[in-house]
Amino acid sequence: MSKAKVVSLAATGAIVFLLLLPSCSEQPSDSGGAETAAPEVKGKIGVTCMDLTNPFFKLISNVMAKEAAKVGYEIISLDGNNDPAKQNSQLSDFVAQGVDAIFLNPVDSKSAGEGVKKAHEAGIPVFTFDVQVTDPDARDLVVSHIGSDNFQGGRLAGESMMKATGDQGKIAIISYPEVTSCILRVDGFKDYLKEKNSKLDIVTELSGRGNRNDGYTVATDILQAHPDIVGIFAINDPSGLGAYAAVQKAGKADRITIVAFDASPAGKQAVFEKKLHDSPQQFPRKMAKGTVEAFVRHLEGEAVEKKIFIPCSHYYYDTAVDDESRVAEQW
Amino acid sequence: MTRLFADYGMVLVLIGLCALFSVLTIKEHMPSGTEAAEALLEQVHAECSRTDVILVVGAENTDSALLAERLGRELREAGYANVRTVVGSPRDMRLALDDLQAQGRQLAAVATAGDVLKWRVLDRISETHPAFAGYKRMAPEPYYWPGFLTGSNLLAIVDRIVVIAVIAIGMTMVIITAGIDLSVGSLIALSAVIGTLVMKHLGGLEAPVWAVPVGFLAGTLACGAVGALGGVVVAQFKVPPFIATLGIMLMARGMAFLITGGFSIYQVPDALAWLGQGRSLGIPNTVLLLGVLYVAAHVFMSYTPLGRYIYAVGGNTQAARLSGVPVKAVIVFVYVVSALAAGLGGSIQASQLKTGTPNMGVMFELYVIAAVVVGGTSLAGGSGRILGTLIGAFIISVIQNGMNLLGMESYTQQVVLGGVILGAVLLDKVRGGKGIGAFLPARTGSSQERTQHEQG
Repeated sequence: MSKAKVVSLAATGAIVFLLLLPSCSEQPSDSGGAETAAPEVKGKIGVTCMDLTNPFFKLISNVMAKEAAKVGYEIISLDGNNDPAKQNSQLSDFVAQGVDAIFLNPVDSKSAGEGVKKAHEAGIPVFTFDVQVTDPDARDLVVSHIGSDNFQGGRLAGESMMKATGDQGKIAIISYPEVTSCILRVDGFKDYLKEKNSKLDIVTELSGRGNRNDGYTVATDILQAHPDIVGIFAINDPSGLGAYAAVQKAGKADRITIVAFDASPAGKQAVFEKKLHDSPQQFPRKMAKGTVEAFVRHLEGEAVEKKIFIPCSHYYYDTAVDDESRVAEQW
Repeated sequence: MTRLFADYGMVLVLIGLCALFSVLTIKEHMPSGTEAAEALLEQVHAECSRTDVILVVGAENTDSALLAERLGRELREAGYANVRTVVGSPRDMRLALDDLQAQGRQLAAVATAGDVLKWRVLDRISETHPAFAGYKRMAPEPYYWPGFLTGSNLLAIVDRIVVIAVIAIGMTMVIITAGIDLSVGSLIALSAVIGTLVMKHLGGLEAPVWAVPVGFLAGTLACGAVGALGGVVVAQFKVPPFIATLGIMLMARGMAFLITGGFSIYQVPDALAWLGQGRSLGIPNTVLLLGVLYVAAHVFMSYTPLGRYIYAVGGNTQAARLSGVPVKAVIVFVYVVSALAAGLGGSIQASQLKTGTPNMGVMFELYVIAAVVVGGTSLAGGSGRILGTLIGAFIISVIQNGMNLLGMESYTQQVVLGGVILGAVLLDKVRGGKGIGAFLPARTGSSQERTQHEQG
């Protein structure tokens, strides 16, 4: 190896190192969000979400950072990457670091329990949002859970489906049975139909894995098996939009009512374009704000409810027309 | 000494990283030991009378709780009649204040430490309990210490890397034969899922203790069998290892989802947690396990004929075959070891999470390969050191842990980690797989000698 090569390599190494240094030390203040309003930094809150590449969680994380900065706390937001093991070591890092609280959005409702126990043993209060921890030992250690009322949202979807179809015919459900919140949506949907003695006939219930591709594939198969369905309930917008693509390809967009869930930016636009009939709306901002508020109330020594559910609301074409957040492509 | 750095130059990188993160994570800590209690005791003596109402507060499960209990006891022994000790959450303190107010008492002082000082109950006393607004707040003087260099954090570093480090032993052997094993991440999930399923069927939550090793064994051996399949495909049919293990990676992941239906298995006995979370003789099991496995693997690779065969096969397959090395058997052997290590890794992972989940270990194969390469093993085969791999694994773990401690954003973390791995591979390319010692003047001769020795 030539000497020049060694020198150039060493130089590159040094530059990379120098580049890293400032980015390390600057980062915390960046993630702190609005610094102007922040009085003094009293401490840090560790946040870990199941998937930060999902704009829903990115928004929650950003709003949390802003809200927490108002009361003098800095948010450390990490991505669980849909990997329970990775999330578990993030929780260990939070504990080792001695954060003042942990806001947890579990990748896996069961295996997150070990991390919650570890945090509790270190005296760190844990708040969950969006998805609950269901491990029986750890469940009670969580100070408070803040999430959408998915069951009630599912009931709203059932209501829309009954009205739009005239309560007659066969329908299909595109589910996602790995995720508790999605199970609750389906449960709520069925509960409403049952309560109203609906004449709708649920002919099949298949997993669309919560994404557009699988939603499309599964809906294509459903249309093959049951060409005469009049409605599809999909547990979120991506799988609902996948289903729409399949329905449109089959030339049945006029006959089949699709109800999705979330009112995500894409979902709002789709409702506006009348691709989706309804998409019961979740409120990630309220969820983020609610979590920070629960933490503050905890610090103030107020009694904090074990579970705080934020009700969903219908999102119809009429809602979409004047909705600025739809135009701005926001949640 | 020069020789040491020539062999394990990455040690310097690791030490440098530790020093860097130590400096960057220096922060205020609150003492809670004997001296802190003494200091608080004196402060109370100086500023309070024996009849004053003093609230001694500690946060549940933290050091300040121990301090509060101790201080409360000592104050009572010293004759302070109205000392109240509150150990718990902010809510408990608020209730204690409400109680005092209801009894019409006054509040002279709050003595505490640590997290309690951040409780907003204290800040809001003048609003919620105006009568107490004149209270004195007593706390020990804070000191400064790196958050990185605490016992619990160092343990967190080991805990996060133990799975990857264990698997990296097998991967090092595979890579030394100039192969690659992409299936290990999926095998983690397969092993964890099979292991926890066995425990579930042997009684679930009430399963006897022996169900745990039986489950681990079942999961690990199943992975070994899968590894043997891969080894045979590579050795006998000359399928490129990348493709052979890619196929197994997909199959194993699919099987893990198939046998669980996509759900986590959590109906397992408490004893499952022992391997990944317990301690033996006061030492965490994960640390012990890493120590034992790496010493064994180092001895195996350096001092046994089979270990030398592995180097020989990777160095020059033809020459190895001609000199009588059973090349095919060696190749099958390394893939079985790699799969067994992945199986054991899966058992540890299941133990750490007390769950078997089919989506465990996604992308782990890449971190394992990165640990091996950062540790100085050449992807071209023929050279590499087991202990280098351990250092490589720790470098990755320290970077991940340090970035989390600094609160770096997740997106930035990926960029940095990717950059570090890329840098290490570049280093590997430039130095020709001879360790960072390629940059030190004194070692050229000895290293060539060593390389030849490795290949013979």
